[in-house]
Amino acid sequence: MTDIAITVNGELRKASVPSETTLLQLLRDNFQLTGAKLGCDVGDCGACTVIVDGAAVNACLMLAVQAEGRDIITIEGLANRQVFHPLQQAFEESGALQCGFCGPGVILSAKALLDENPDPDVYEIRDALAGNLCRCTGYTKMIEAVQNAARILRGEPEISSRMISR
Amino acid sequence: MRPFQVYVAKDSEHAVSLLCEHAPRAVILAGGTDLLVDLKHGSKPWDVIVDISRAEDLNAITLTGEGLAIGARVTHTDIMRSPVIRESAPALIDAAHSIGAVQTRNLGTIGGNLMTCVPSMDSGPALLALDAGVTIRGPEGLRRLPLAELFVGPRKTSLAPTEILVDIVIPKHNLGKPLVFLKFGLRKGQALALVNVAAGCRLNGGKVWEPTIALGAVAPTVIRAQAAEAYLAGRAPSEQNLSETGRIAAQEAKPISDFRASADYRRDLIAVLVARALRQACAGTEIEQAEMIA
Ligand SMILES: Cc1cc2nc3c(=O)[nH]c(=O)nc-3n(C[C@H](O)[C@H](O)[C@H](O)COP(=O)(O)OP(=O)(O)OC[C@H]3O[C@@H](n4cnc5c(N)ncnc54)[C@H](O)[C@@H]3O)c2cc1C
Ligand code: FES
Ligand code: FES
Repeated sequence: MTDIAITVNGELRKASVPSETTLLQLLRDNFQLTGAKLGCDVGDCGACTVIVDGAAVNACLMLAVQAEGRDIITIEGLANRQVFHPLQQAFEESGALQCGFCGPGVILSAKALLDENPDPDVYEIRDALAGNLCRCTGYTKMIEAVQNAARILRGEPEISSRMISR
Repeated sequence: MRPFQVYVAKDSEHAVSLLCEHAPRAVILAGGTDLLVDLKHGSKPWDVIVDISRAEDLNAITLTGEGLAIGARVTHTDIMRSPVIRESAPALIDAAHSIGAVQTRNLGTIGGNLMTCVPSMDSGPALLALDAGVTIRGPEGLRRLPLAELFVGPRKTSLAPTEILVDIVIPKHNLGKPLVFLKFGLRKGQALALVNVAAGCRLNGGKVWEPTIALGAVAPTVIRAQAAEAYLAGRAPSEQNLSETGRIAAQEAKPISDFRASADYRRDLIAVLVARALRQACAGTEIEQAEMIA
């Protein structure tokens, strides 16, 4: 067993797990943070995407021990009971998700992009989401939603008037 | 995954001593984007994982008297963001950008890409075309090898189980050499190359000088197309000569047919991509020379 201490969504979390535990298993099974999904388990689908020290990674391809001491953001870290993150708000408003299984990964990939690049063009958005497979939507509304969220985050008027914060 | 022990190496020397202690059942872990898949689905019974993802001496990109040294655990994202690489070997940035998707590039390393040694590796062709060397650390210390001698066959390198890759060095005289990397996959993202090509040259008095052509995914390892290089050297970069160079490269490659593409299709791709890469590289050279005159 290995002792692990990581910061998850701003909170220091500790666990003792077997060495072969992935970061995804640690988050889901030990910390009950089931927002990151287990899809392919081999790095192809991006359903397990989380942000580690600012970078989007596939949690299924990282050992929990490799995350020791690092700063992790999961989808649970974005919203609270009062407010959505602008990305979540924009995704909801655009109807950018259908079944939603890919959603946490897509939104975190988009967040990692916007944290570094507040005004990405469509090509940059597509590049940032290329590792997040969605079997339902066809991506068009997701890209619109990311553009809208970027506008909200930059403090510019949103494109759709129906967008309301909760 | 079956149980294993993980040791975190603080630097390359520490990693080698851990490998010596636990060989042959120990394996290096860098970004894990290949190794974790192997640990989940492969058959190798590794008991000990030596994690170099925090090794202090393996993550630098440095210009030295010898050339440009890229540490083995530099990630594909690091390469894409490196001003030094953008300046001196931009084809490496195109190659890094073509790998998988953001998540894979954030974890995956250049060293891991070379060491996994699949013929379709995207880091291989540009480095091979630039005559890169690799530094290897073993129990006896450091040794240097031409990159071509690292590659032995599919998923096989010449490293001993107690050795690790330390860095990749592009010789000084090839920094800034016009070189173009092109990859043809079935999609833009998350797709391995059907064929990838790095080709470049200099122009001297309207003649091609030092052409280098490297091909991936069309032989057991990444290879140089030596017959094509020999043909083009000293000739004018005319459309006809570049097409002929592509045709010769296609002949000397040994592509296979698999579920992604037939060997014939891959040969056609080689001919087209080699000519296209050379055309772009020559255009780059001419622009540079024009700028120098102006
Ligand atoms: C979804 C997905 C998409 C991908 N797409 C592409 C693609 O388009 N193109 C492409 O080329 N590759 C692709 N890959 C493969 C992989 O991401 C790359 O090969 C990556 O660079 C491997 O680096 P790593 O640090 O993750 O290696 P690891 O998985 O950590 O290690 C890989 C192997 O190299 C050995 N190793 C690593 N570093 C060293 C060292 N310093 N010394 C000695 N041995 C070492 C390990 O023991 C292991 O055997 C993809 C992988 C995934 C999961
Ligand atoms: S579950 Fe991790 S990428 Fe698919
Ligand atoms: S909304 Fe169903 S997979 Fe993306």
